[in-house]
Amino acid sequence: MSHALRTLATGVFSVQRSVSAQPLLRLVKIRGQQRSRSDGVKGSESQAFDVSLLEFLVCPLSKKPLRYDERSNELINEELGIAYPIIDGIPNMIPQDARMIHTTEKPTES
Amino acid sequence: MAASIRALRFFSDCTRNIYHVSRCRIKHVCCRAGITGCRGYSDSTEGRSTHFGFQTVPEEEKAEKVYKVFESVAEKYDVMNDAMSLGIHRLWKDTLLHIMNPQPGLRLLDTAGGTGDISFRFLEYTHSMYDRQQRLRAKSRQTPSWQDITEHYASDDAGPTQSRAVVCDINKEMLKVGKQKAETAGITTGLSWVAGDAEELPFDDDQFDIYTIAFGIRNVTHIEQALQEALRVLKPGGRFMCLEFSKVTNPLLARLYDTYSFQMIPVLGEVIAGDWKSYQYLVESIRKFPDQETFKEMIEDAGFLSVQYFNLTGGIVAIHSGFKL
Repeated sequence: MSHALRTLATGVFSVQRSVSAQPLLRLVKIRGQQRSRSDGVKGSESQAFDVSLLEFLVCPLSKKPLRYDERSNELINEELGIAYPIIDGIPNMIPQDARMIHTTEKPTES
Repeated sequence: MAASIRALRFFSDCTRNIYHVSRCRIKHVCCRAGITGCRGYSDSTEGRSTHFGFQTVPEEEKAEKVYKVFESVAEKYDVMNDAMSLGIHRLWKDTLLHIMNPQPGLRLLDTAGGTGDISFRFLEYTHSMYDRQQRLRAKSRQTPSWQDITEHYASDDAGPTQSRAVVCDINKEMLKVGKQKAETAGITTGLSWVAGDAEELPFDDDQFDIYTIAFGIRNVTHIEQALQEALRVLKPGGRFMCLEFSKVTNPLLARLYDTYSFQMIPVLGEVIAGDWKSYQYLVESIRKFPDQETFKEMIEDAGFLSVQYFNLTGGIVAIHSGFKL
C-alpha cells in the first residue's frame, strides 16, 4: 500500500515538475534579464530622490518635518538627531535602519 | 530517490496540515472568545505573544519573520499570485478600484503596496477617468472660442487634477521589485516609493484621500495600531479600504478551499518559488485572520464611520471600507 502511494506520488510530482515548472522558470529568468537590461538604461534618472515627497513625509517617531541633505543623501530629523537613508531613490523610514547623528555640524563620513 | 523522499515529505506535511486545520478551528474560536472577554482589561506588555501562521511566537519576532518571508518571495511574488489564484487576484484588485471609484486629483497611500499593483491600477483608473471627463467636456462645447482653448491649456499646465499614489511597504525587497516593474511599464509621474512601517507611518496628519492595504494587514503585528495610523494620515472625509483574505461562508466551498490551500499552495510555492515554508505561512496566516464581522468591529473601534464590507468569491476575500469623518 505504502509502496503504491509512493510511486503514485513520485509520478505526480515528476510530471508536475517536468510540465509546469520548467517553462515557467525559464519565463521568469528571461523576464529578469530583460528587467535588468532596461534598468541599466534608465537607472540614473530614477535613483534621484523625489523632493516633492517632503510635503507630507515626516519622521515616523516625532511626526515632524524632515530636512533633505543632498550631500549625504539622507533625510534628517534635527530635533532627535536621526538620519534616514535614501537607497535607490527610496527613502527608508524605518527607525531601526536609521542612523544617529552625534553632532550635526560634523560632515558625515559615508 | 530524492524525489520520492520529497514526495513522502509532501504527503506527511499534507496529513499534518489537515490535522492542523481541524484542531486550529477549535483553538481559533476559543482564542477569539478569550480576546473579546478580556478586551477591557489592561494587558501586560512583557512576554506577549502573537501568531505567525499556526505557530505562537513572541510579538517582537513576528515582524522579522514576516520580513524574511516577503524578502524571500519578492522576486516571484507576482508569478506566484497568478499561479495560486489562477489570476483571480487581478479581478479582486480591479473590484477594489471599482468600489473606490477614485476621481482624478486624489492622493492615495498604498500601504503594504509592495509590488505596486494597487497604485498602478489607481493611476490608470484616474487617468482614464480624467480623459473621459475631458472628452465629455469637449463634447458639451463643440465650438469653443479661442479664449476657451487657451484657458483649457493653461489649466492643464497647472495640473490640479494630477493624481498621486504613494506606495509604502516595510519590505525593501518588495519595493525594489515594484519600482523596477513601474520603470519597465513606464509609469513614473505621480508615483512614489517609501519604505515604512504601517504601525508607524512616516506621513503627516490629514494627508491622504484614500488609504488602501491589500493583502497586507494580516501580516501586521498590531492591527489596531495600523488602523490608528490609517485614521491619522487620512484627510477628514478620507476613505480606508482593505482587501484581505477572509472567511468562506459556504461550507462546501470552504472544504474545497481548505483542501486547495493546504495541499496545493505550498506545493506551488516549492515548485515555482522554491520556498515551501513561506507559502505554508501564507495559508496559515489567512486562517488566523479575524472574519468579516470581527474585523469590521475592529475598524469601527479604531474610529472609522459607516464601515461596511463586500465579500468576493464567496468570502475567500473581503473588501472592508470605512470613512474618517
